[in-house]
Amino acid sequence: MGRWWAVALSEAVQGDKALAVTCEGEQLAVFRDGRGAVFALEDRCPHRRVPLSPGPVKPAGLQCPYHGWTFDGATGLCNDIPNLRRDERVPARYAARVFPASEANGFIHVWRGKGTPAAELPGASYRAAGREHTGSAVANIAFEQYLDVMLDGPECLLSFPSVHITDFFLGDARRDGGHLVLDRGAVWKGKGNGPAFVRDHSLWVRTRVPLTGGDIRVELLSADEDPLVTIFIAASENRRGTTSLVWRGFLHTAPAPLSWRWRMARAIGRAPFAIFPHIDGAAVAALEVAPSRDRRLAKTDASTPAERVVPVQERCAV
Amino acid sequence: MSEVPMMDAAGREAEVTSKRDWVPINLDLRDTWFPVAYSADIGERAVRRIVHAQDVYLWRDGGRLYAAEFRPDRLEAMRAGASTFTNGSGFYPAVERYGYIWAWYGNPDNAHEELIPNIPFLPPDGQGIPRYTQRAVRFDAASPLSVENLIDLTHADFLHANAIGDSQSENDVVEVHSTSETVTRIRNVTRKSVAPVMRWIGGVRAQYQDLRAVLHVHLRNNVCISYPNFTPGYPIPNVQPFVPVGKHRSRVDQTNYTVHAPAPFRWLMPRISYVIQPQDNSVLRPQNARYFESTERRDLSSRFDGPGNRYRLLMVRLAERQQRGDFGYGADADPSADISAVLGMRG
Repeated sequence: MGRWWAVALSEAVQGDKALAVTCEGEQLAVFRDGRGAVFALEDRCPHRRVPLSPGPVKPAGLQCPYHGWTFDGATGLCNDIPNLRRDERVPARYAARVFPASEANGFIHVWRGKGTPAAELPGASYRAAGREHTGSAVANIAFEQYLDVMLDGPECLLSFPSVHITDFFLGDARRDGGHLVLDRGAVWKGKGNGPAFVRDHSLWVRTRVPLTGGDIRVELLSADEDPLVTIFIAASENRRGTTSLVWRGFLHTAPAPLSWRWRMARAIGRAPFAIFPHIDGAAVAALEVAPSRDRRLAKTDASTPAERVVPVQERCAV
Repeated sequence: MSEVPMMDAAGREAEVTSKRDWVPINLDLRDTWFPVAYSADIGERAVRRIVHAQDVYLWRDGGRLYAAEFRPDRLEAMRAGASTFTNGSGFYPAVERYGYIWAWYGNPDNAHEELIPNIPFLPPDGQGIPRYTQRAVRFDAASPLSVENLIDLTHADFLHANAIGDSQSENDVVEVHSTSETVTRIRNVTRKSVAPVMRWIGGVRAQYQDLRAVLHVHLRNNVCISYPNFTPGYPIPNVQPFVPVGKHRSRVDQTNYTVHAPAPFRWLMPRISYVIQPQDNSVLRPQNARYFESTERRDLSSRFDGPGNRYRLLMVRLAERQQRGDFGYGADADPSADISAVLGMRG
């Protein structure tokens, strides 16, 4: 069965240019028609295998930059081969591979795999309620590792300015549908005896990581569980052990008193979070495999995934 | 240097235990009280604590203490999802004693106050316990593994040598006693090098001192009651309750009851956890991860591991008993019995 992947920010696909993206290791060309509808084709001209994405978007579709063959976004069919005589037709079987595409809440999604595209898009769960900060990157870490590290040590992958993210997990990862959710303590930098010795953490970081797919949600919460920052990160497998990332996030209207450094930085417009494109390999290698074990177990036992991450109330004694 | 296989009783016990596949991360023992917070830490604002990956929210309202599965502002909306741990009410049984809030983990119908462990050196009503004696620390391991670390005698001479002292002594004898619910380790050391912390801030100028250290461990809730008595010197009674946060972490709200020690030792000694705890975590963190791995390679043991191996064996037995549906306390178990004599308290 296939699935939707968020592969691009909506604003990154505009005008008469296509955007090259990579999803599950496959290179795609994403573009819009004149009415703004989004389409995704394999980034490979079936004529001479040239990438389509550098070509211009024409009224009839995406035009290959090499020989001008043009492909319809909805069907992938080649509808124009320049220089054909008037009495010549493009053979009906000439087409680029096409992928269903859809858009929601600032993300462009592509359906990959078999089956009828599902109605719900991963990005549908994201609703910005404040000034947004967005971006995209290719991170130097493999996709599955990216998801695991997001559970074991998200401080290797992102940061919140003035915030020290600890690795004190508040309980174990808990199953929420097709995701694992894990809370960990965090503290404001420069306060107290250090994060290991505070009675109760003043902040929490909640990571919501998929068992399959790439939609990640990270939240910075106050101790009263009021959200301060929400980030939606769409990850997917890129080539050569790297990971494609696109993200949107926003700052909530803070209900709780925050540190003066945090307030100052926000007042001058600095982003309330940073996503790292360059991952510290030594830091990742030093992480012990901890909550991500539950994710790997659930993935490898796909027939009974819910039973491997046992709900709290049903755990047995041994 | 020859290899000395020390296959005495401790070694055989270890072998029996390892055959049972000791996996400390999975021991979820029930029907017990957990000291989830210092009483003094809980006011009207709800605080979240966690036992076996299960939320326990604590707060006071109108002077009354509440321990619930959900935040107070969400309690009504979420009460329908309350678990059997609260009989569907959303509220855990909770009691205040010895300066702690004890929350019941298990069947609420079995929550009896006499199952709260006796701590003879602390005032039962918690009155007068100075805040300087209370330090919360976090361990990067599941509770049973953290408790093993505490039971383990010989690691301190190496990992904590700069604070606690080296392994030099004239004689070092270890005894271990147990019931179905407790393990008691007694260590008698004669002419041990005086611990640096006691020499430099404790006023003990002698070169050597004798030590009688008793550690009484309650298996279900990992409450460790310790009474190390130094001569010359003084006792440093302490409580270290390893509350299981999850499979990877535990939390300890320590009480180092140093009120009878001279100043400034009584104030400074509880802060030694700032030194000790990172040292322990440096080994516990990778150790915990490795106990998730299924392996045929059994842990090796020396005679010094006797108490730890007894602990492993008893934990497995208790867990197996609970797995069969038996959550009761045996005839040899009485958590509230006075353990002053067990600890060897003076006076």
